[in-house]
Amino acid sequence: MPDSKIPWEWEITSKTSYWGNSMNELWSFRYLLAGLVKRNFLLRYQQTVLGPFWILFPSLLTLVTYIIVFGKVARIPTGNLPPVLFYFSGIILWSFFSGSFTSTATTFKDNIQVFSKVYFPRIVMPLSVVSTELYSFFIQLLLLFLLIAYYWLFQDLNYTLTIAILWFPVAIVTTAVLAMGMGLFFSVLTAKYRDLSYVINLGVRLLMFVTPVIYPLASVPDNVRWLVQLNPLVPLFEVFRLSLLGEGTVSLLQLAGSILFTVVFFIAALVLFNKQGDRLIDSV
Amino acid sequence: MADKIIQVENISKLYHLGTIGTGSFRQDMQKWWNRHMLRKQDPFFDLATVNQNNKNRNYIWALKDVSFDVLQGESIGIIGSNGSGKSTLLKIISRITKPTTGSIKGRGKVSSLLEVGTGFNKELTGRENIFISGYILGMSKAEVTAKFDEIVAFSGIEDFIDTPVKRYSSGMYVRLAFAVAAHLEPDILIVDEVLAVGDADFQKKCLGKMREVSQADGRTILFVSHSMQAVKNLCDKAIWLNNGKLMANGPVSGVINSYLSDVKKQKLKQTWHIKAEAPGNEWIRMHAVELIPQVTDADAPLDIRVPLLVRIKFWNMTDNLVLSMGLHLFTYGGDCIFDVPAPAITCHKGIVEAECLIPGNFLNDGSYYISILILRDTSVILYSFEECISFELADYRENIQWYGKWTGAVRPKLPFKLKQYETTLHN
Repeated sequence: MPDSKIPWEWEITSKTSYWGNSMNELWSFRYLLAGLVKRNFLLRYQQTVLGPFWILFPSLLTLVTYIIVFGKVARIPTGNLPPVLFYFSGIILWSFFSGSFTSTATTFKDNIQVFSKVYFPRIVMPLSVVSTELYSFFIQLLLLFLLIAYYWLFQDLNYTLTIAILWFPVAIVTTAVLAMGMGLFFSVLTAKYRDLSYVINLGVRLLMFVTPVIYPLASVPDNVRWLVQLNPLVPLFEVFRLSLLGEGTVSLLQLAGSILFTVVFFIAALVLFNKQGDRLIDSV
Repeated sequence: MADKIIQVENISKLYHLGTIGTGSFRQDMQKWWNRHMLRKQDPFFDLATVNQNNKNRNYIWALKDVSFDVLQGESIGIIGSNGSGKSTLLKIISRITKPTTGSIKGRGKVSSLLEVGTGFNKELTGRENIFISGYILGMSKAEVTAKFDEIVAFSGIEDFIDTPVKRYSSGMYVRLAFAVAAHLEPDILIVDEVLAVGDADFQKKCLGKMREVSQADGRTILFVSHSMQAVKNLCDKAIWLNNGKLMANGPVSGVINSYLSDVKKQKLKQTWHIKAEAPGNEWIRMHAVELIPQVTDADAPLDIRVPLLVRIKFWNMTDNLVLSMGLHLFTYGGDCIFDVPAPAITCHKGIVEAECLIPGNFLNDGSYYISILILRDTSVILYSFEECISFELADYRENIQWYGKWTGAVRPKLPFKLKQYETTLHN
């Protein structure tokens, strides 16, 4: 049989690429990504009494709790900012981070049925999770804007939009990438060692206390501040508050360090995810 | 001549049984340390030590050096018994899992349907699931939208399209799931045993749709099925796999015949001429066990219509013994289909013969084995000979347009008739 002159379009071998899928291939699955985000929302809020209001409800409830416990009882200072704005900005960014991280950390465990029956770029699944969280985050952000507007109009909050707002997208994107990187890394481990997912949930809760969610970095005593600053999330939270509310303790160097860590960690996690993914399919 | 669309070259797949992912973190760390830090054992050393005959119990070659070509527009049936590597092959071509060695080259878009309803979510409505499932299979939004009405019409669930699929009957669920896949427009469609579910009407529709896809649109189909009828119906070529090796590759009827006759050879007859070497004990020595199909043409494949005569001969070593027998028929699934006793008689030293006739049109299709018991005084087991005969019965259906697995432990042809009891037509 004469070999055709038309070149082969694809080849399957035993090799696994480090980079996973080409951009072209990912692009052809953009509908799946959008569809999965929509599905995640439908699944979360279908057959619930409050429906889409659930996007805001947990954050609001947390806000009330924090104001009472950390504000009124423990009296943790919130700098010059009204406690409501201070806590709420921390809460929404934290819930975005922890939601993205904990949900992507079980990618293999949750999707092994689908992964072992149909082929598509596996990275689409964690991407869809982070996109869903990002979408919720933006809705909560709108509420934060409303709160800022309220304090500015009726509570004589001295608010000026500064050039620091340019750091806002940097804070969001870096947080998203870091959360997803950590999620990819742990998704490989949770597939093998199931009990690790409990450890992750516990660890995330503890991580919150070394991240300036309920306290500003400025209130941390100088002698232990360096310890807190080892956490790459710290500059992100500080720069997030700085960009929106005009108050935060962060240097350019710290921020650059955090971004560098995020990029390196994400690439390493992606390689692990792609390399180990193929082996996990055969063994999980 | 049509172009090659897939070229499979020396594909092998090694599965590592058990030890991966048993969850011992310490063990895995040790392994990793040995392999990467001490460079003791390379993964490729593992490969080399694996015995080719699957003797090493920790490893199994699900596929071994399989090569074949697929031409544009062909439909190829992949046949073989359970565990022969069919599904592994499809998974590799669908890119779900990687081969251990070898390569597959191809062109065009591949869509696979290895399971009905992959990615379906019970909480979502039929409409939402059609979209998600279409996207998972690689369709774009425009493609799903364009095909939407056709998909719904094909599945026949128009009235329930906005109902969550958890409220569907299983038949409706399967119909919807298949409908999505059937309206994919890939260059290569891979289908694994999906016709085993669903009712007769729908199966006919599915096969019809697949034939249409392959013949009218010139698409290539790889089709795995246990139903030889369905394979014959749909495919022009077939590939037969056995224990991961390619046994035959060619026109469909030839491959199916050699597959069925190989199955037929399985232990239909065992004889021992030397008493001392025959299986048995101080009471009994086996002489012959034989399954004799009651057909005129000895080469015809064993199917469910054929009456089967089981003949057993053994040496009895004691005089004046009251002997009886039991004959058990098991499926390879492990179910006992029947246990037939033979009434006791008094026997003396010499050869004793027993015969049992299993009527035709009685057993269902499938793989069976026979075990026998020889008893003294109807209660003391002298000798039990397990799995002495094994055989496979092929399916046979006359005028029944349905290709799914026939349910039931047996399939007796009992008298069952319809008649017009009363009518208002001529009154």
